[in-house]
Amino acid sequence: MNPPKIAVIWFPGSNCEDESKLVCEAAGMKADIIVVNSSINPKTLEQYDGFFIGGGWSYEDRIRAGAIAAKDPIMLKIKEEAKKGKVVLGVCNGAQILVETGIIPGLKDKIQMALAPNTNPKVSGYYNTWVYVKHECRKTNAFNAAGVNEVLHIPVAHGEGRFTTTDKDLVKELIKNNQIMFRYSDEDGNIDEKYPVNPNGALYNIAAITNKEGNVLAIMPHPERASWNRQLPYFEQHSFEENEKAAPCLKIFESIKMYLEKRMR
Amino acid sequence: MEDKELAEFLKKNAISLKLNEARKIVELIGRNPTITELHIFNIQWSEHSSYKSSKNALKMLPTTGPTVILGPKEDAGILKLDEEYGIVISHESHNHPSQVVPYEGAATGIGGNVRDVLCMGAKVIAGADPLRFGEAFSENKSVSNRTKYIANQVINGIATYGNAIGVPVIAGDIYMNSSFNDNCLVNVVHIGLIKNNEIIHSCAPENSIGYDVIVIGKPTDNSGFGGAAFASLILDEKNKENNRGAVQVPDPFLKNVLIRASYRVFEAARKQKVTLGFKDCGAGGIMCATSELGASGNMGIELNLNEVPVSMQNLPSYIIACSETQERFCWISPKEFTKTILDIYNKEFELPNVAEDACAKVIGRVIKDKKYILKYNNKIVCNADIRAITEGIRYNRESEEIINKKASGPELIEPESFNTPLLDVLKLPQIASKYTVYEHYDNTVQGNTVIRCGEADAGLIAPLPGKKYGVALKVDCNPRYNRVSSYHGAVNAIAEVMRNIAAIGATPIGLTDCLNYGNPEKPEQFWQFLEGIRGLSDAAKNIFLKGTTQPVPFVSGNVSFYNGSANGKSIDPSPIVACVGRMEDYSKAITLKIKKSGSGVYLVGARKNELGGSAYYELFDELGANLPKTDFASERNMIYGVIDAINERLLLASHDISDGGLIVAVTEMILGGKGAGKIGASLQLNDGLKTSALLFSESSGFVMEIEDKNLAAAEKAFAKYDVDLIKIGETGGDYLIVNHNDKEVVNLDIPALRDAWMNGFGDAMK
Repeated sequence: MNPPKIAVIWFPGSNCEDESKLVCEAAGMKADIIVVNSSINPKTLEQYDGFFIGGGWSYEDRIRAGAIAAKDPIMLKIKEEAKKGKVVLGVCNGAQILVETGIIPGLKDKIQMALAPNTNPKVSGYYNTWVYVKHECRKTNAFNAAGVNEVLHIPVAHGEGRFTTTDKDLVKELIKNNQIMFRYSDEDGNIDEKYPVNPNGALYNIAAITNKEGNVLAIMPHPERASWNRQLPYFEQHSFEENEKAAPCLKIFESIKMYLEKRMR
Repeated sequence: MEDKELAEFLKKNAISLKLNEARKIVELIGRNPTITELHIFNIQWSEHSSYKSSKNALKMLPTTGPTVILGPKEDAGILKLDEEYGIVISHESHNHPSQVVPYEGAATGIGGNVRDVLCMGAKVIAGADPLRFGEAFSENKSVSNRTKYIANQVINGIATYGNAIGVPVIAGDIYMNSSFNDNCLVNVVHIGLIKNNEIIHSCAPENSIGYDVIVIGKPTDNSGFGGAAFASLILDEKNKENNRGAVQVPDPFLKNVLIRASYRVFEAARKQKVTLGFKDCGAGGIMCATSELGASGNMGIELNLNEVPVSMQNLPSYIIACSETQERFCWISPKEFTKTILDIYNKEFELPNVAEDACAKVIGRVIKDKKYILKYNNKIVCNADIRAITEGIRYNRESEEIINKKASGPELIEPESFNTPLLDVLKLPQIASKYTVYEHYDNTVQGNTVIRCGEADAGLIAPLPGKKYGVALKVDCNPRYNRVSSYHGAVNAIAEVMRNIAAIGATPIGLTDCLNYGNPEKPEQFWQFLEGIRGLSDAAKNIFLKGTTQPVPFVSGNVSFYNGSANGKSIDPSPIVACVGRMEDYSKAITLKIKKSGSGVYLVGARKNELGGSAYYELFDELGANLPKTDFASERNMIYGVIDAINERLLLASHDISDGGLIVAVTEMILGGKGAGKIGASLQLNDGLKTSALLFSESSGFVMEIEDKNLAAAEKAFAKYDVDLIKIGETGGDYLIVNHNDKEVVNLDIPALRDAWMNGFGDAMK
């Protein structure tokens, strides 16, 4: 069987395309960077099994982070492909785009959430640091090779990463549906709603949400920057070979591969 | 024209050429220049573009050696990583623009520096930002408020621009003092990765007659016209409004797209084996880029200015030619490849949809005749020998030694306990943790960062995924040392930057210098500049490239004069240097944080009574005179010993001794880069020096954490270079205790240390 093929979507202003492609390849998939322009035929996306919308400032984040890219005809196509069960991963700006399209959380045919400017008592605006996220989802989906309650070390790098909503009952529903995949926690998995454990003030410490079906994930932290030991803050006193080994976040991509292979079979 | 008439004419046309310079143009081209030509020479002969005062002196710097692939000739230098790969580096200043409009000034500083690295054909992989601001705690509230405003805006400008284009910041520093009240310094360093056989030169290729000249990027407007000339004047607060027009407008979004589209052109050119010329439009705009592309290829250039995409109507010819509109480059391409270039920018990456009227367009061609010809509205507005335009002029400026009358330090009373002085030193803005700044920059994008800002003495990336190489980067220069002595200040900058690179285990392979000085027309200030170069040169020539007796070479640099205040005083002379280090195996690198309880704390570099220029003296508003003096042989030996010991994995942590001296070095090792350290240390110092000098003297050296099991091997590694390891204490506990000759002089718990060090910078910016 051929390995699954991922389209790494590059919108004007995206800036994580190379490392996004690399991590897909490291997990055993094939990946192409697709440059989005007005002459692109959305049908070309049909040949791909999954879509990775990476970080950056798509269309300069005019109006709101991700708002313009969400209206791009390419996203309509990706929405269509997602309905077929293909995998869509949105990281950072990609997560903002998925929320702006309404695919996430995707329970109603409208935008139900927003990624608001961080609230952080120390660093206002853009904030880049290492945090911990706890794997909370108890249902099998396309991304969860990491076990329930497993804690992952991962960097955040954004100015607008605070998951929020005006719908009071939404979080309950997301919990019930097992759509909340990762929550900001401390090293031992304890949830504290305050900074620094919660780096941006996100509602219910939400770091990542899937759609109800479990084949679309919007995640604010960057798993592609934490997929090898050398990328983690603990590279010291380890051999080169040890540092080149996969770090826990690679499981997210390996999980995508397994899910897609199952689907393709 | 009579002198008086000429002077009035120049003034009316905002030309800052001196009378004799204007007359020299007539001599050069054999007739009276056109107004366009006059503006061209005005820019090309500015200090910023021509290096007219500095060129002769810069020859003192060593620029060759086994690690050099390309010295300081083009937009950026290139150092050898191995037979296959090189590291491109450029170092620039954007001081005056950042003082006038700090956000835009700093952002365009990043933009311009990134262009320099990119236009060599490289992938831009990391950056560093050394910054100098005025005093944060001035008695004059309006001074400190302005300082904080400028500092915040500069940091925001760097973050907004650098984060958007996706280049991690891995090093930087910040100093604040009153000499920078009217003139901040914003220096920028970027490095890129390139294959050694894929370098694109800033030069028209051989036999390129008839090749197209293509401009890409933002449509030209009148922004930044005269920026080069503006950089060559002392800033005067009164003229601030007039100066704003000389600052460019940044567009990081467009730059993000231009970078990626240009990578695509590199790829296409490699596949089709086409040789191109590529240069960024910086100072002097299209004129400077195209004339230098032509002249360095021994060709002429002919442009039709009516073909240049513009966003404003009725611009005069000299503005189209010379404006410093941001986000533009020029290509020289064979006709048959032109369509590929135009299609990549205009169709695949759709520049016209990214920014209004942005595009790639042919504006002229390479000609055989070595002329620089500009046409506009069917008229020839410039027709001069191309070399006359690019060659520039030179001055031998006069210099006059400044005799430092104060030859000794102040006599201060030694306190009983050094707890308070230590906490006060930790709070100084240049020493306190800058994590709130670093966390504002993206330092993990591209996924290759190994050591982030602040975690160790230098930043480290592993730029080739799957390969062992590590590339280290660091910047340095202590303004207070330079206030005491321009020579020793410069020597110390080189010694410290190399120590910083060594402290993580990397070997220094090359340097850049950004020479920020005062007014070269003033003999004392020009003397400071000459002394600085002498210091840089002596240090680079004597702290040899490891394994050789050759200098560590300078491969790129920049000179920024006229930094001072309107009353004629210079800033603290600031030869800010950057150093690139190479590691065979990045996984052997170490940070400065203490790792284990019960290991030994060791020192190399004996403590001396060298408190001149120290942070300790700053507490008492004293400068002192006895600066740390660099003993080149001992400096080399310590650096080589540390590199070897780390690469043999014998050290757990290492930190160079500089600002704040031994005691600050140990404190920072306890706290670690993010202030999260939990393991303390106790030191027993037996030394005849007075306690203040022992703890706070900034004499060169390293502090290291070594486990007992590795001690013998570590001693051997250092013995190879005749360096003795001095044991000064043990790690453990949750405090810092220091005994000097059996008397307790410091006893502080970690939370107290953390509080001072982590909040000092934030308090200064409040």
